[in-house]
Amino acid sequence: MSATDDGRGGGVPIRDARRILAAHGGSPAAPGGESLERQARPSSVPRLDGAPLLEGHQIEARDLMGAPVAAFGAFLDGIQRSVVIGYLDITIPVVHGTTAAAIRERDDRTLHTWSDGPIVERSLFLPAALAGTSTMSALAASGIPVHDTLPAADPVALRHPAELLGLARQAVQARREQAEERLAGAWCASARTPLYVDGGIGGFAAASRSPLAVGVVKSHHTLYVDADAVATVASLRPGQRTSAFVVATRRRTRVASWYLRLRDTGAPLGGLVRVEVAEAGFDSARADQISGWVLAEREPVALPDSRWDVMAYGIRDCEEYLRAVAG
Amino acid sequence: MGEILGRVVATERRPNTPHQFNFWTALDAQVGIGTIVRVDGKIPVAGRLPKVYGVVVEGLSYSDLETPLHDVLGADGEPGRADDAPTRRTEIRLYTAAVLRHIPDDPLQPVPLGAVYLASEADVQVALRMDAYLKPGASTGIPIGLYRAGATSSPIYLDADFLLGPEAAHLNITGVSGLATKTSAVEWLLSSIFAHFPAQKGSVAALCFNVKGPDLCFLDQPATRLDASDLELYAKLGVPAEPFKHVEYFAPYTARGYALNTLRSNESLSHNVRPLTWGLREVLQYAEVLLNKDDVDAKADALIDFIRERVVDQDFHDDRLATSHRVQSFTDLERWFRDVLRAMEEKNQEVWRTHHVATIRKVRNRLTNISTRCRGLVTDDGTVSDLPWGVFQDRGVYVVDVANLEEDAQDLIFARVVTQLRERLEKRTLGVDHVVVFVDELNKYAPADGPDTYVRKMLLDVAERGRYLGLVLFAAQQFRSQVHRRVVGNSGTALFGRMDSDELATPGYATLPPTTRTKLSTLDKGELMVRHPHFTQPVFVRFPRPAVLSGREGVERYPQADEPTLEGAVVRALRPLDRSITLDWVKETIALADEDEVLRARNRTLQVRPDDVQAYFRSQLKRRVATESVGARTRPAIRTSPGDDPYAF
Repeated sequence: MSATDDGRGGGVPIRDARRILAAHGGSPAAPGGESLERQARPSSVPRLDGAPLLEGHQIEARDLMGAPVAAFGAFLDGIQRSVVIGYLDITIPVVHGTTAAAIRERDDRTLHTWSDGPIVERSLFLPAALAGTSTMSALAASGIPVHDTLPAADPVALRHPAELLGLARQAVQARREQAEERLAGAWCASARTPLYVDGGIGGFAAASRSPLAVGVVKSHHTLYVDADAVATVASLRPGQRTSAFVVATRRRTRVASWYLRLRDTGAPLGGLVRVEVAEAGFDSARADQISGWVLAEREPVALPDSRWDVMAYGIRDCEEYLRAVAG
Repeated sequence: MGEILGRVVATERRPNTPHQFNFWTALDAQVGIGTIVRVDGKIPVAGRLPKVYGVVVEGLSYSDLETPLHDVLGADGEPGRADDAPTRRTEIRLYTAAVLRHIPDDPLQPVPLGAVYLASEADVQVALRMDAYLKPGASTGIPIGLYRAGATSSPIYLDADFLLGPEAAHLNITGVSGLATKTSAVEWLLSSIFAHFPAQKGSVAALCFNVKGPDLCFLDQPATRLDASDLELYAKLGVPAEPFKHVEYFAPYTARGYALNTLRSNESLSHNVRPLTWGLREVLQYAEVLLNKDDVDAKADALIDFIRERVVDQDFHDDRLATSHRVQSFTDLERWFRDVLRAMEEKNQEVWRTHHVATIRKVRNRLTNISTRCRGLVTDDGTVSDLPWGVFQDRGVYVVDVANLEEDAQDLIFARVVTQLRERLEKRTLGVDHVVVFVDELNKYAPADGPDTYVRKMLLDVAERGRYLGLVLFAAQQFRSQVHRRVVGNSGTALFGRMDSDELATPGYATLPPTTRTKLSTLDKGELMVRHPHFTQPVFVRFPRPAVLSGREGVERYPQADEPTLEGAVVRALRPLDRSITLDWVKETIALADEDEVLRARNRTLQVRPDDVQAYFRSQLKRRVATESVGARTRPAIRTSPGDDPYAF
């Protein structure tokens, strides 16, 4: 896999970026500020979004047949970190974003980084139209990768600074998802064993149609069931899954999905994950089989991660690895 | 360059220093406590890329868990389930190494981040500073063992200048008993010294005190248990796997005087076993060894000095005495004392030549008692059979067997032999330039506590000044902590075999890291930890089994001879000098002689070692027998008493 920088600690010379910004009327932000990801709050309230069923006529709790079997050959995850390094014209934030993604392949129960290694990117994110061409040209001339945070179709107008920060964070997230998608696509094109993806796979063009990619979603800001099925989901016992349904959004591929209880933590959504697989070729037996694969990853427990009840150890390993290499 | 073994790692909480650094490795890396490694720095210092050599002194392993409880919970309390998990938990091997050497060594800086390599043979030489004394044509290296780690197999050399002087000297070896470490290591090292001691540094011999059992009784006999790995070690270290070529044994007689007091009494090995007997002259010089402070006050000391200087070995006249004396033996001395005391009694004097009668009686009692207390070693008649002073041979081994002797006799032998060595080395009249003296059970002879004995003082003197003379102490003991600090402290080189954990808990071992102490308590036979002045950290090595017959095997192969009859004792003693001597000849020759006379004749024959042994032995008897015979044949004149002599005179 290629990276925009060496991925080993090089990257954007923030000092150069600050110097250029200062030369164009910018003001530096205090160093050591909290990342945008930590500051971020959900932009919408949790919601229910009933989805079309692929099994039966209503959401049901289903017992799995057979013992869980470890079948995943690798784990995919990505991380991101966005920090404001300064402002142009006092209100336009300039964000330094780091994104990284990697596949950790399992061989003889031990995880190693797959292929050429991780994809690590360090770039600046700012609204190009608001920053002005001279600033953008100076940054580009210095060799610093720069990404525009304003959607192309949006009108150019001054925004609320918090909105600009939100756009920057989304842009960073998009870069991270692109890196994950590249890796997932590469895996599905060349490997033969299933890939455990942290999060949904609907955003991955190729992988979302591959029988090898299995997305495991840990957060449930949106529950894809109607109100009368919430109790069914919340009362799943460890090892049970729900009926499968289709998750489809405007910009994502349709995927088959279902809820699966990994552990009983006493909380309604504790130990609950949502599995996503390609819709093509889906049937109940495959849902049971894949659920068994996910259940097999409950051990070793991903402690001391706070999301240990829903996180596979391979994903924790991936995150630790990326933190180490991307800093 | 080699394959990268690990990487140096440093954090604010766990930084590297100029003396210590941390590195991590793969789980299957060939590294452990005692492994020597090399760090290659990437940033030049003073125009050179730095290299740092270190020895692993600590190892840590841990996982990403914060508490063991998480593992228990994750496996539902069932240990076996942990192995069922499809992924192994991440684990780290983190090692701490103590720095052996920096190159360049100035400026002395913290160890840089960099790749860690297993030290090659050349690296080991540099790391331990052996390159300074292994220069071709001027090497003073003495192999002590083989360092092994992974694919590296490197001989470790001691510097002869620091082992046998004059820079430093002496060797101390510690280890639990029964693992054949101490004696075996010394036997091996002596072989190594004899093979590698540089010719330009002169000649060297060894004098070993056999203090227990048959440990050193078969140094001239080949080992039977050398296996292929031992032979490989000998070959790699360049030492011939063969017993010592020139060995001489010395032992006093038993109290009865018929046989030598040694386990090497088998007749087939008697060719190089000699009696060790001393007369008055040899003993008197060391009287204070046997006389404690209660015995020898200033007055007694003065009388002993008087006897030593004015009486022994010279004609002594005193008008008050009945006769002239020439005191050459304990028997002569007893006769002299009797004469002195008689003279004082006759004249009712309490003082003779400033010496009070009580002092004279006390000194008489203590001195004449020596021949009884050290019977077998000290002869009444002054017969001397001694070590070959003046003609010690290069690469010769001289074993003095004191294993079965009383403590007094051991002390006396010890004191006199070592003092003789020191005096003769000082005058360069020993026959060799260097002598290694091996003493086991050092905590008995130079204890940390207890009375300040002559032997301890003498050992301290050797330890502190012997290196200038070429007198080198190789000492062994089970408990180093119980040996006098100055003796141990003056040993430039120290070897440690498997150690008792109680001993390791004493303050003397506090400088060793806990893992090194643990390793010491579990060392295998044939493994040693070596401290040497050139090595900034101890090094673990393996040495081969000695190429000599072990004491235990020796006594099985060469059983001890039975206590002989008087005739048998004479045959056994004289046969090595004259193979034609038979039991019948001896029986016939000594038929008319008493036991003391026979033993005296045997001793004198052994001392003189004449060309015609039979004639000389017979002459010794004849002279006595003839005198007595003449006396017996002389008929006293028949004297008639005068009638008026009431006393019949």
